[in-house]
Amino acid sequence: MRFQELASTTAFKKGIPNLRIHYTPHPITDRPAELCREYVAGNDPVSGKPMLEEIFSGLTMPLSAIDAKAGFLEREPRPRFFPADTPENLMEFFYNQGYTDGNPIILPTEEKVKEMLNATSHQPDEWVGQMRPSPPHEAWYYTVEMVAVNAVMAGAKPEYFPVILAVASKGATSMISSTSSFARMVVVNGPIVKEIGMNTGIGAMGPVNRANSTIGRSWTLISKNLGNSGKPGETYLGSQGNQLNYNNICFPENEEGLPKGWEPLHVQKGFDKSESVVSVFSGWSLNDIAWYSPLPQHEVIRGWLEHFFSFGVTQATLILDPIVAADVASKGYNTKNAFAKYLIEKTGTPGWLYWSENRDNLKKAKEGIEPFAGWLKRGEDAVVPVSRYMGRRMGGSGLLATTENNESITSIHIVVTGGGTNTFWSGGDFGYIGSTSVDFWR
Amino acid sequence: MKNRSAFYILLFLLSFMIPSSLICAEEGKIVVMNPRGIQPEIRKIPMAKRPATLDNKTVYIVDTKYPNTKPFVEELYAALKTKYPKTTWVLKEKFGGYMDDDPALWKEIKEKASGAIVLVGH
Repeated sequence: MRFQELASTTAFKKGIPNLRIHYTPHPITDRPAELCREYVAGNDPVSGKPMLEEIFSGLTMPLSAIDAKAGFLEREPRPRFFPADTPENLMEFFYNQGYTDGNPIILPTEEKVKEMLNATSHQPDEWVGQMRPSPPHEAWYYTVEMVAVNAVMAGAKPEYFPVILAVASKGATSMISSTSSFARMVVVNGPIVKEIGMNTGIGAMGPVNRANSTIGRSWTLISKNLGNSGKPGETYLGSQGNQLNYNNICFPENEEGLPKGWEPLHVQKGFDKSESVVSVFSGWSLNDIAWYSPLPQHEVIRGWLEHFFSFGVTQATLILDPIVAADVASKGYNTKNAFAKYLIEKTGTPGWLYWSENRDNLKKAKEGIEPFAGWLKRGEDAVVPVSRYMGRRMGGSGLLATTENNESITSIHIVVTGGGTNTFWSGGDFGYIGSTSVDFWR
Repeated sequence: MKNRSAFYILLFLLSFMIPSSLICAEEGKIVVMNPRGIQPEIRKIPMAKRPATLDNKTVYIVDTKYPNTKPFVEELYAALKTKYPKTTWVLKEKFGGYMDDDPALWKEIKEKASGAIVLVGH
């Protein structure tokens, strides 16, 4: 049973370890009534007994003495150090306990953790934050020292530590418990990028640079070990998983590659250019676009955005090579917001998607009510001139022709990075979570 | 409760005063630090006393509205009504999405029912 561990551990963490839980065959979503009837008439797949009788007995069977008792549940103790062992055994122990991402780690000796701690003015026992796999789960708490242990494990250099602390302080796990296999992204801006040697150039998003790699990896180890995340079946249900979680798409913005008038991401978010900042995003996937065409780049991007489909369909993030950004700017898009506004206003929704999400409007269209009837007249698959990037669900009144304000621009984010060796760019369904100061953690 | 929390915090802070060198390592062995965070306390909730019979009693079936699971909820409701006709089965949809709390419904169940089946579909 895929959800047995999740259900029983959740009941424990909510304070009812013997909650009476009964199971159905999985899944029950999208199953026809006839099959559901068979499920109900059949056995609970965990107990092997008739489901209805199991449910009924759960409601009537007397409680045990323990069931009726109040108090506190025992948690596993947390020693600060593990018993001495050989490095080989400890490496296996860390892997077997689920403390790693499956790759080898640097073992966190006290000396190495102290070196890491020397890179911040904050005290080892200072609380950094709390993190949970998703809202229904319990949150765990962590200190500066605990973050340092995970930073060491990820292979980070001490000078990266303020960036890692800033990411940890956001309290957002990189491994959300959802069955949909979320990914996360972290973008670094400001002077810290050069100070610690992050790569904004060739291969900025690839496995090239130690800072880019290990800061991103730290986030996943922090999520697993400090944020109670990433345990398959219990705190992680991502059906296929997501390889982006290995490094969480960690890269710095190439601020020197921004066209004139284009603000760095952190400035867009209200920080001063001289500040160092991390910004985190959440989504599922990226498309890497390498396509030559006679169309100008801004039109290629708009066309891709119109037909791009993923789990999330109401927000997008574009990661442009400096050459692409320059091409877009040369067409009159003098700011990131101006380009985002163009994309929002000029991007429609594929008919199959629009009509499947707006059944009421489809009915109106078939009754001859405008503007829906006119849109449908073009064919059920034709693009409908309603943007899905308006900052609200498609069922809203977001007609392109009436969009004159900037409120919806935050649904499309634009970041520039890369070495300028070709007109490549990436786009995906990532939405912005928030930004926080790195300087605070120095 | 307050004293208990204070004790744990004190224990946690004291642990910073023990260096790894005091944990004697044999030759070829090393001591490493624990990467895990702090788990919160869990207060145990006593379960509600069960009635000996559900005859002439009311039980709510709560649909948490996981997407596209309505057919299952309705089949369960129909099957329970047929198999246990002496019990009054009330099918109720929870407020909001499946992650939203619904204190008003929990209050209603406490007042009007002898029990509840909460469906968490997927």
